Amino acid sequence: MSKLELEEESSTDGNHEHSVRRLVENAARFLPTQGPIEVFVLLNNLQAFEDQPFHQALKAARECYQAEPYLSEQEYRRLYAKGRITDEDLEAVVMADLGQRGLKVINGLGMIAELRFAMLRHPIHVGPDAELRWVVAETDALERFRDQTTRINRTRIITSTRKWLNGSGNRDDIPELASLFEKFGHDSSRWSDVGWEAFSLQLLWRICLKGVACSHKPAEANSFVRPRDLMLHATGDDINRNVHDVLIRFCAAYVDQGYSDWTLPNRDAGFYESFLALYETKTAGLNSWLSGLACDVRRLKQEHISAEQCIEHTLTEFGIAPANREAFITQSLLSLAGWAGMVWQLELGVDWVVHNVPKESLIGMLAVQLLLERHAIRHIGREAFGESDSIPQILALARQKVSQPEPMKRERRAFLLFQVAQMLGWTPLELLQLTDDEWQEISDELESFPSLERRRIFHEAFERKYVHATLDAFATHTARRRNVASPWLNRPDFQIVTCIDDREESFRRHLEEVLPTCETFGAAGFFAVAMNYRGAADAFYKPLCPAVIKPVHYVQEDVGYTFEGEHQSRAQIRRQIGLFSHAFHKRSRTFLGGILTGVLGTLASVPLVARVLFPHLTARIRQRFGSLLQPPPVTNLQLERYEGDPGPTNGHIGYSVDEMAGVVVRLLRDMGVTKSEHFSRLFVICGHGSSSLNNPHESSYCCGACAGKRGGPNARAFAQMANDWRVRTKVAAQGVDIPDDTFFVGSYHNTCDDSVVFYDLDRLPASHREDLEVARKAIEEARRRNAHERCRRFGTVPLSISAKDALRHVEARAEDISQPRPEYDHATNSLCIVGRRQWSRGLFLDRRAFLTSYDPEADNDEHSVLLGILSAAVPVCSGINLSFYFSTVDNVHYGSGSKLPHNVASLVGVMEGTSSDLRTGVYQQVCEIHEPMRLTFVIETTPEVMLSIMERNAVINRLIRGAWVHLAVIDPATSEIQMFKNGEFQVYQPSGAKLNEVESSLECYEGSRDHLPFFSIHETEVA
Amino acid sequence: MTVDSTMWYLGRIVVASPAFVLLALGLPMLCNVRLSEKLQSQITKFGVTLGLLAATTILVLMLVTGKRHVPVELGHWVTIEEEHFHFHLKFVFDRLSVPFTILTFILCGTVGAFANVYLHRDAGYQRFFLLYALFLLGMVISSLAGTIETLFFGWELVGLSSALLVAYFHERPGPVRNGHRVWTIYRIADAAFLIAALTMHHLTGAGDFDRMIGKDSWPMGVSAIEPWQALAVGSLLLLAAAGKSGMVPFSGWLPRAMEGPTPSSAVFYGALSVHLGTFLLLRVSPLLAASLTLRILVIVLGLISAVFGSMTSRVQSDVKNALAFASLTQVGIITVEIGLGWYYIALIHMIGHACLRTLQLLRAPSILKDRQMLEDAVGARLDKKKPENAPPPTPFQLWLYQFAMHRGNLDSMLDGWVVRPFLWMFRLFDSFERRWTNFLSGGESRESDRLSPYSDSLEDVI
Repeated sequence: MSKLELEEESSTDGNHEHSVRRLVENAARFLPTQGPIEVFVLLNNLQAFEDQPFHQALKAARECYQAEPYLSEQEYRRLYAKGRITDEDLEAVVMADLGQRGLKVINGLGMIAELRFAMLRHPIHVGPDAELRWVVAETDALERFRDQTTRINRTRIITSTRKWLNGSGNRDDIPELASLFEKFGHDSSRWSDVGWEAFSLQLLWRICLKGVACSHKPAEANSFVRPRDLMLHATGDDINRNVHDVLIRFCAAYVDQGYSDWTLPNRDAGFYESFLALYETKTAGLNSWLSGLACDVRRLKQEHISAEQCIEHTLTEFGIAPANREAFITQSLLSLAGWAGMVWQLELGVDWVVHNVPKESLIGMLAVQLLLERHAIRHIGREAFGESDSIPQILALARQKVSQPEPMKRERRAFLLFQVAQMLGWTPLELLQLTDDEWQEISDELESFPSLERRRIFHEAFERKYVHATLDAFATHTARRRNVASPWLNRPDFQIVTCIDDREESFRRHLEEVLPTCETFGAAGFFAVAMNYRGAADAFYKPLCPAVIKPVHYVQEDVGYTFEGEHQSRAQIRRQIGLFSHAFHKRSRTFLGGILTGVLGTLASVPLVARVLFPHLTARIRQRFGSLLQPPPVTNLQLERYEGDPGPTNGHIGYSVDEMAGVVVRLLRDMGVTKSEHFSRLFVICGHGSSSLNNPHESSYCCGACAGKRGGPNARAFAQMANDWRVRTKVAAQGVDIPDDTFFVGSYHNTCDDSVVFYDLDRLPASHREDLEVARKAIEEARRRNAHERCRRFGTVPLSISAKDALRHVEARAEDISQPRPEYDHATNSLCIVGRRQWSRGLFLDRRAFLTSYDPEADNDEHSVLLGILSAAVPVCSGINLSFYFSTVDNVHYGSGSKLPHNVASLVGVMEGTSSDLRTGVYQQVCEIHEPMRLTFVIETTPEVMLSIMERNAVINRLIRGAWVHLAVIDPATSEIQMFKNGEFQVYQPSGAKLNEVESSLECYEGSRDHLPFFSIHETEVA
Repeated sequence: MTVDSTMWYLGRIVVASPAFVLLALGLPMLCNVRLSEKLQSQITKFGVTLGLLAATTILVLMLVTGKRHVPVELGHWVTIEEEHFHFHLKFVFDRLSVPFTILTFILCGTVGAFANVYLHRDAGYQRFFLLYALFLLGMVISSLAGTIETLFFGWELVGLSSALLVAYFHERPGPVRNGHRVWTIYRIADAAFLIAALTMHHLTGAGDFDRMIGKDSWPMGVSAIEPWQALAVGSLLLLAAAGKSGMVPFSGWLPRAMEGPTPSSAVFYGALSVHLGTFLLLRVSPLLAASLTLRILVIVLGLISAVFGSMTSRVQSDVKNALAFASLTQVGIITVEIGLGWYYIALIHMIGHACLRTLQLLRAPSILKDRQMLEDAVGARLDKKKPENAPPPTPFQLWLYQFAMHRGNLDSMLDGWVVRPFLWMFRLFDSFERRWTNFLSGGESRESDRLSPYSDSLEDVI
C-alpha cells in the first residue's frame, strides 16, 4: 500500500481527526493536574477515577499507571506485628468482605474465611519463577516446616504421614514415592524426627504438585500497548531513552517561564510547529537515530501535514487497531506524564503565569513524540534486525523474537497450596482424598486471594482499627466533656480563629491548656475574604483564596502617608539592588561577566560558609540589614472601594461596605458566633503560612485555602472589616450581633518557625491593651509548646529538648538552606472534625485532625451553613489526604521522589537530575512519617441532615459513597455515633476501650517519636 | 622543634586527616557495622577541621618564613629495580598546592555540613559520606602530589568517587547510566594521564615533578626537557585535563553528573572536580613554557570550551544544566589564562569560581523565590516581552539554537567516532568466538541467546 493512499484517506475523513483530538483530550484527564509549582495545590491524584468506588478506582489506576495502590504486604505485616492491625480487625474485615460466602466450608478442609485469614496472618510468598525454582531446589522449604507452623499442625501432619505409611494407604497414588524412599531409606522405623519431618513435607509437596496438575489454565499472551513495550521486550532497548532525551529538552524550552536566555524560536506558533521549524535543518553530528528526522520534517512541512494527521499516520504505521487507540494514546502521553501534564495545564490557561502556551500544544507534543518514536524504532530496527525502512516489518520481526514467557503456573499453585497446608495443618491423607474438581476448587480459592487482595484487606483492617479507636475516643471524651463546666463565667478572655489546618490543631490545644479561659475556632484560612492582594513591596496582585474561586476584589497594602517618601527611596534602593543582583547572577553564567564574577567569587565563600554553618545567626544579620530596605513598619490596607466595580485600579480597589458586611457575616455564621454573649472583648483572627529557604515546594506548606500563599493579609483584612462601625451596623441588621466592646485583631502564624505576628496594633484602643497582653502572653507560651511538640518528629532533635530550645530549633530550621524538611506539612493527617469545639476540646489528636467549627444550633432549617462548610471541606481536606495517601504508597509514580536531586526546570516544576520527567506530588522526605489512610470525617449533625446534604452536593456524595473518605456523625449530647457504611448509616457500638486521662499534652507525647493514641486532657482548673 | 620539622609533621597531618576519615567511615562499613549519623558527621567534621587547621598553619608558616617549597617524603612504596620503576609517595607544599588544598577543605567542609542535614534519614547517608571521604582524600592527594604517580593516585580516587556519586540513586536507571558514562570518560582521561606518566618516567627516569619542571618552586620552574618532549607529554596531559574538566569534546558528562544529590553536584562537578584538569595544567606549567605549540593548543582548547559553554548555557531552561555549562565557560577561560602564562590570575580565578559556583548550586532550589523577590523589588516581570513584530528567526539562529540545545552533538560524535568502532570490534571478536564455540559444541552454544531480556514479568506474581 502506498503512503499516498493513506494520507488521502485520513485527510478526507474528517472524523478521524476529530477522534484523535477527542482521544488526546480524554487521555489528558489521566495526566497530573499539578500546575506550575509556585502554586502547589494538593489534590487527589486519582481525580480521573473519582466516579468509581475507592478500591475499584485503585485497581483501575494500577492498570493505568502501573502504580502501587496500597503499602507493600511486608509493610502491613510490620504494622500487624506492631499491633497496629489486630486479628480482630482482620477477621472482621475478611468476614465483611466475604459476607455469607465466608462461612462456606471447602471440601472439609475449612471455611473460606479461615483460609483467607490464614493467608493474612502468615506471610505467603510465591516469588517470580526464578526465585520459586531456587526456593524449591536450594532452600530447606521442602525439608523443614515453616517457622510459623504451629506445633499442633506439625504433629498433625507428621502423625498422619506415619499413619498413612504404616497403614494400607495406596502408595501407587504418589508416583515419585519410590525416589523418596530411595532418598530416606526404605526402613521408615529407622528415620529420625528430622527425617520424618522432611519426608512428610516432601510427601505433602508431591501431593500438592500432583493435585494442581489437573487445573491448568492457558497463560495469557503478552499484549503490548505501545511498540516501545514490544521493542523493549524483544531487544532490551528502550526507545523512551532516546525519545525522552530530546522531548524533555524541547518541552522544557517550550514551557520555560523565562529562565533561559534564549527563547525557543517560534514557540508561539505551537509545539508541533516550532519543533518542525527547529528540526528542519540538521546540525552536524546529530545523534545517529535522528539522522532521518530533518528529511521527514521537510516532507511534513511541504505537504502541510497537521499534528493530528501526523498522529494519524503514526497510528497507521504502528498498526494500532481502532480499539486500541485510546489505550495507546493514553499510555504514550503517560510515558512523560509530568511534562505532558504541564503542557496541558498551561494550554488550559493559568492566570498568573508569565507565559501560557497556545492551544493544541498537547496534540502537538504527542505528534512530536510519535514522530521521534518512529525514528527511534527504525534505529533499533537497524541495529537489531538490519531493517530500518518499514516500521511494520520491524515490529513483525520483533514480535517473532519476543518469547512468550511460560510461567511455572503449576509449581506456583502447588507451592501456594503447600504453604497454606502447613499453616492449616492439612494432612497428606486429607489431601489425597480430594477429587480433581475439589482440587480445582481449593486451588482457585487460594488464587482468588492474591497479594493485591490481601493488601486491600490489610489496608481496610488498618483503617478500621484507627477509625474505631477514633470513634471510641470521641464517645468517651464527649461523655466526659458533658460533665466539665465551662472554664469562663460570662465571656472568654479572648477568642481566636485559626485555619482548619491539621497543623493548627496542636497550636489551639496548647493555647487552651495555657489559658483555659480562651476559646478557639477553626475556619477555612481565607476567612471568607477572597481577594487579589498586593503587599507594599510586591510587584503584582496575587489571589489569596481557595484555588477554585476566582476573586474579583482587589486589596492593596499602602504605606502610611508619613512614610511615603522613605518608602519611595527604599523601593528605589530595592529596585537597584534587585536589578544588580539579577544582572550578577545572569552574567555569572556568561563569558565575560563570568570572568569578573569568577575573580571576585572568593567573596562568595563568606555567605556560603556562614549560611550553611550558622543559619540562625546569618538569618538575623540578614534581617537586620533587610529591615532597612523593607517597606516602613506602618502600613494600611486599602480596603474600601469608592467606585462601582471592583478592579485593580485606584478607586476600584477594595470592598463596598455591604460586601464587607457579607464577608463578616459569612465567617461568624459559619463558626456559629452570632449572639452578643458569644463574643469576648478580644477576637484574634489568625491566618497561617510557612517560610523556608531553598525550597521550591514552599507553596505546598502554606495555606491551602489561600491558594498556597500566606494567609496573614486575609486575617488582617477581616479584622479591619469587622472593626468598622458601619459594617457592624449592617451585620447587626443581618442578625449577627457584635458587642461594641469587641475588638478584632488580625495575626499570622508561621507554621514552620512557629512565630505569631499581629497586625495594626496601633489601632488597638487603650481599653483593650490589657486583653491583648493576656492573649499575647498565652500565644507566646503556646507557640513554644507547639514547637516542642513538633520537635519530637525531627530525628536530629533530642527528645529531651526544652521548650525554649525547641523554639530556637524550629526558627533555625526555617532559615537553614540545607534543610529538606523544614516542617512536615500535612503529613499524618487522618481526621476532620466538624462541630463545636466544646466536645472535642481537650482530646489529644496528635496534629492529625482538621478542625472546623460549626454550630448546628445556629444553622438554619436547610442546613445551608453545614452545606457551605462541607462543600469546601470535603473536597479540600480529602484532596490533601489522598495526595498524601498516594504519594506515600507509591512515591515513584504518584509522588515526586526524593528531594535530594531535585532541579528546578523552566521555573514550573522540578526534575530529578538534569533530564527526567517533571515530578509532581508530595516528595519522599515529607511523606516519610505519613500513614496512608483515608480521611475520617466526624461531623456534629444527624444522619438525615447528612443524607440531604449528600443529595444536594454531587462532589460530597461521590466522595462519601465511593468511600474515598470515611464518615461518622456524632451527637455530643448523647455521644451516639453513626457510621456511614455500604450506603447507609449504622449505629456504632463503642468498644469501651479505655481512654487515658492526662494532665497536659506534654504527658501525651513526651519521649515518643511515633504515632500516638488518643488521650483525654483534663480541663485545667481556673484559679 | 624547628620550623622544618613542624612543617613536616603538619604536612603529614594534612594528608592523614582525610585518610583517617575514610578509614573511620569505611572500616565499620566493611564489617557491616552501622555508625549513627551523628558519629559519622563528627568523624567527618573532626577530619576536615584538623586538615584545614594544619594546612592553614603551613600557609602561615610559609608566609612568615618565606619558604616557598616544602616537600614531604613518604618514601618509595613499590620498587622494581630491573624495570627502573618505583612508586614514590611525595607531597609538595607550595604556592599552588596550599591554596588549592585549603579551598578543598573549606568547600568540602561546608558541603559536608550541608549534606549532613540534607541527607538526614536518607538510605544512602553512609554511602554518601564514605564516597565523600574518598573524594576528599583524592582531592588532597592530587593537590599536594609531588610526583606524577602520586597525582595519578589521587586523580583516580577522585574519578572513582565522582562516578559513584553520580550514580548515587542507583535504584533508577538514569543516574547509573550517567555515572557509567562519566566513568568511561574519566577512563579516557586516565589512560592519557598514564601514558604521559610513563613517557615522563621514560624521558626523565623518575616521576618527580622536580625533574620535569625544574627545582624551582612553582611557578618559577623551568623545564629541563626538549620542546618536542614537552609537547608529547603536554598533549597527553592536556587530553587528560580536558576529560577531567569536561572540556570540548568531553563536555557531555558535565550535565550528566548533576544526577546525584545537590550537595555532591555542587562541590564535585560545580567546584572541585572540574578544576582538577586546570590544576594539572597549572602543576605542569613549566612544560607549557617549553613549547609554544603546546601553549597554543591549550589556548585554543580553552577558548573553544569557553565559547561552547557560554552558548550552551544560554538555551538551558533548568538551573543545574545552566550552571554546569556556565562552569564549563569559566573552566575554558581559566585554561586560556594558563595558556597565556597568567598563572596567578588563573589560580585566583579558579578559587573564586569554585566558591561562587558552589554557593550558586547549593542555592539552586531557591531560584523561584529569588525570582519572585527580584520581580517584587524591580516592580516588573524580569524577562522582556518579545516585540510584537519581531522578525522570524533566521536559519542560522535556528541552527545555532539546535546546536546549543543538543550540546554541540558532542556526545553523539563521541558515540559515533569512538564508541561505535570499539563496539564494532568487540562484536566482531564476539562473533568469531561464537562461531568457534558453536563449532566445538556442535550447535547453539549460548543459552543466554535464547533468553528474552524481560522474560519474567513481576506482574504475574501473586
